[in-house]
Amino acid sequence: MALDYKKLGMKCGVEIHQQLATRHKLFCKCSAAMQDKEPVFEIRRKLRAVAGEMGDVDAAAAYEMLKNKVFRYKVYLNETCAVELDEEPPHPVNREALDIALQIALMLNCEIPEEIEVMRKTVIDGSNTSGFQRTALVGLNGWVDTGFGRVGITNVCLEEDAAQILDKKKKSVTYGLNRLGIPLVEIGTAPEIHEPEQAKEVAEKIGMILRSTGKVRRGIGTIRQDLNISIAGGARAEIKGVQKLSLIPRIVELEAKRQLELVKKGRKVTRDVRKALPDGRTSFLRPMPGSARMYPETDIPPIQITEEKIKQIRKNLPELLTEKLEKIMKSYNLNEEIAGQIVSSGKTELFERLAGISEPKTIANVLTRYSKEYKIPDKKLEEMFRAIGKKQVPKETLEKMLDALSKNRPVQDVVKIAGDMLSEEDVKRIVKDVIKKNPDVMKAGRPEKALMGLVMKEVGGRAPGSLVMKIIMKELKTSFS
Amino acid sequence: MYSKKIQALLKKKKIRIGDRVLVKKIGKETEGILMPQTDAGDPETLVIKLDSGYNIGIKFRNAGIEKSGTRQSKAGKEEAEYEMGKTRKEILKLKFDAKKPAISMVSVGGTIASRIDYRTGGVHALEDPREFLHNTPELADIVNIKRFVSPFTKMSEDMEPDDWIKTAKHVAKELNSGMKGVIVTHGTDTLHYTSAALGFFLRNLTKPVVLVGAQRSSDRGSSDAGMNLICAAHAVVSDIAEVGICMHGRMDDDYCLFIRGTHARKMDTQRRDAFRPINEYPLAKIWPDGRIKIKNRDYRKRDDKGRVELDAKFEKKIAMLKVYPGADPDIISYYISKGYRGFVIEATGLGHVPTQARKSWTEVIKRHSKDIPFVMTPQTIYGRINPSVYTNLRILYRESGAIPGGDMLSETAYVKLGWVLGHTKDMEKIREMMLTNYAGEITQRTLVGTFLY
Ligand SMILES: [Zn+2]
Repeated sequence: MALDYKKLGMKCGVEIHQQLATRHKLFCKCSAAMQDKEPVFEIRRKLRAVAGEMGDVDAAAAYEMLKNKVFRYKVYLNETCAVELDEEPPHPVNREALDIALQIALMLNCEIPEEIEVMRKTVIDGSNTSGFQRTALVGLNGWVDTGFGRVGITNVCLEEDAAQILDKKKKSVTYGLNRLGIPLVEIGTAPEIHEPEQAKEVAEKIGMILRSTGKVRRGIGTIRQDLNISIAGGARAEIKGVQKLSLIPRIVELEAKRQLELVKKGRKVTRDVRKALPDGRTSFLRPMPGSARMYPETDIPPIQITEEKIKQIRKNLPELLTEKLEKIMKSYNLNEEIAGQIVSSGKTELFERLAGISEPKTIANVLTRYSKEYKIPDKKLEEMFRAIGKKQVPKETLEKMLDALSKNRPVQDVVKIAGDMLSEEDVKRIVKDVIKKNPDVMKAGRPEKALMGLVMKEVGGRAPGSLVMKIIMKELKTSFS
Repeated sequence: MYSKKIQALLKKKKIRIGDRVLVKKIGKETEGILMPQTDAGDPETLVIKLDSGYNIGIKFRNAGIEKSGTRQSKAGKEEAEYEMGKTRKEILKLKFDAKKPAISMVSVGGTIASRIDYRTGGVHALEDPREFLHNTPELADIVNIKRFVSPFTKMSEDMEPDDWIKTAKHVAKELNSGMKGVIVTHGTDTLHYTSAALGFFLRNLTKPVVLVGAQRSSDRGSSDAGMNLICAAHAVVSDIAEVGICMHGRMDDDYCLFIRGTHARKMDTQRRDAFRPINEYPLAKIWPDGRIKIKNRDYRKRDDKGRVELDAKFEKKIAMLKVYPGADPDIISYYISKGYRGFVIEATGLGHVPTQARKSWTEVIKRHSKDIPFVMTPQTIYGRINPSVYTNLRILYRESGAIPGGDMLSETAYVKLGWVLGHTKDMEKIREMMLTNYAGEITQRTLVGTFLY
């Protein structure tokens, strides 16, 4: 039975963490690429529960927890320096990352503070060597529109990613320091989502806006989605690590139901952190921690954001992927699936450049499907398409060409494969010739079938079947009329 | 700090930092706690802590501010107060164990004994040993910090010889009042000068004097302050009756090194393990769990009897110079014209200064060395001055009267020269004293394993 979420007083908020595709980390010049394979050495550290610095966290409990815990940190040559090791104060904020974060904040209709203050947020699980995460509020009071109504964006924060957990034992946790310090935006919505489908829509929309910048990281682990869900009489549950957006409505529904069951039984709903499972259910992770203490990062001076700066970023906001999609579908007469693949592959610009000189469908196919299979750099593909021009190439020949290209054969050789192709005029000539030589065929029930066989024998793969059929039909029409 | 204009307005409106306020600006309203502006921020920008915990800055131009009608939550208020350097009352409930060895703490400043006061952007010094216990409860299992004295607090870079003397006086007084030892908290930049000074100033030492600092402020979970203090507490109740520095031995939170005060040097601007022993093994490795591994048997053993004698006579008119290609010895004449009475010169290699060069330092030294001591130390940091292997060295040390500083650190030699000149102006006596070992500052053997230790 479907739930009436309004009646339930369901409130849901979405929180998204997205890594930014900058060259360097947020507070040092280390590479943010996560390419180093093997660590060069390891250091061992302890963290202390600094009494009075823990916010609502129970300091005594934290003290006991940390007393016997050792944190092992793996150091990577190109991706770790003294900053990640907490042996050097942070360098000034990465301006590239700040600009991307401001761009995202503006695309989410946020206000930008006139002075951005970098904060230290206490973290004592060892995922940050310093014992805190550096984070700054760069946008607030924004919104996104959904089919169900407007949802507020309460915060866009620019922060450093945490170290990656590699191993966990009873008394020690091992972290890789290569991820620590990679720039991240955290986007939080107000708890103004009231329908499961709306939660998905909001997450999709924010994701689309993030990807529209072209400056966010893609791939596993580069984006993390959490949900906050409560019903009237229940309590806020934070659901961590939602893997697929399509699961969101199910998760929201199941969590609302879970809380409803407890409420009905007269049991207290506790504020929990829960883990999203692959089937949409969730499992208990830990009680909701108290809010972390936040205090100024005095090693980084406040950052002034001028009106001119905002104007300049606003002027250069990227086109949204949804707008791009519509434009491509219309301009090149492509269906939503193919156009969608082009847009989400991030190769829209390349596609548009090539679509003017070669056949759009073929290009779309190659860019979205074959390029993965054959692993050919975009530059080479572009060269090839420019050389082929308007000529139609059958699938088999195209595959032959891509294969040759992927084997590093020079582009001019590859194009020769297509060079044996017959032009439309050539095919027309052959069709006419065949009709002339085989007058009996025209008397058959379906002459095009028989003709096709005969013509293809002559063409021998030097023209696409679709083109041959098109010309046969045309010829038949003229000879019958 | 806010501008005078903002301060005046806040005063007029009776708004204090820490109050919950409403800032209005062209159709926008922001509510939160008014925070102080740091030195690095814009004095014309209000800093507001939002309910989310984040601070943002709002330019005061065209803005209005008033006290907010809504009440601040208790947690929020406490939070803001804490951030402004006010200590919670709960720490006053903490206690040391009277059965543990009684020691004194002499605090003269530094990161280890402070927290930042965001109200002024300045440093707020800890004033009660219980504040240390608050952050490092383990201390109560090791020592009873019975007395806490803070004659002054200074940034390390502002320390002067008079401050060493003051510190030494207090340490001597504490040691002579029956304490098991003294921990000195201090900034790190010039910690090794102070440790050398205490080494010379405190005669007949029979108990440990442990200097300790921190490279990371104690507000962060990763601060080295806690472990350094714990190891310092173990050192101060140990049988090593020496002045030494006790800080991180490695980047790991594994053990501390207890390094003789006259052989320690800050070798990195920021690392936890910046303090290294030079030309000597550390006295000991000390683990936070209390294990002590002696690395250098050349130390005085605790006997707790006898009074420590304060001998802090010091001549301040001394200078430390460094030679380098192109260095002009005229600088010496300048100093002498200003009344300077002794020099430590950081020499190159085995102890060279420009001798046959167009501008000869050796000649200038020769001209003055009858009344003014020139002590040579190695600018290589590691190693020992050798007065006789090359002709130029022989000219400098035999014919021109320079005093070879052996393997003394330049910083230690500087402190020692001031101390020696505080006792005598007789050139022969000065030379003799400079070459005499008073505080373990000169070693007899160069142990190769001490290089880059
Ligand atoms: Zn780095």
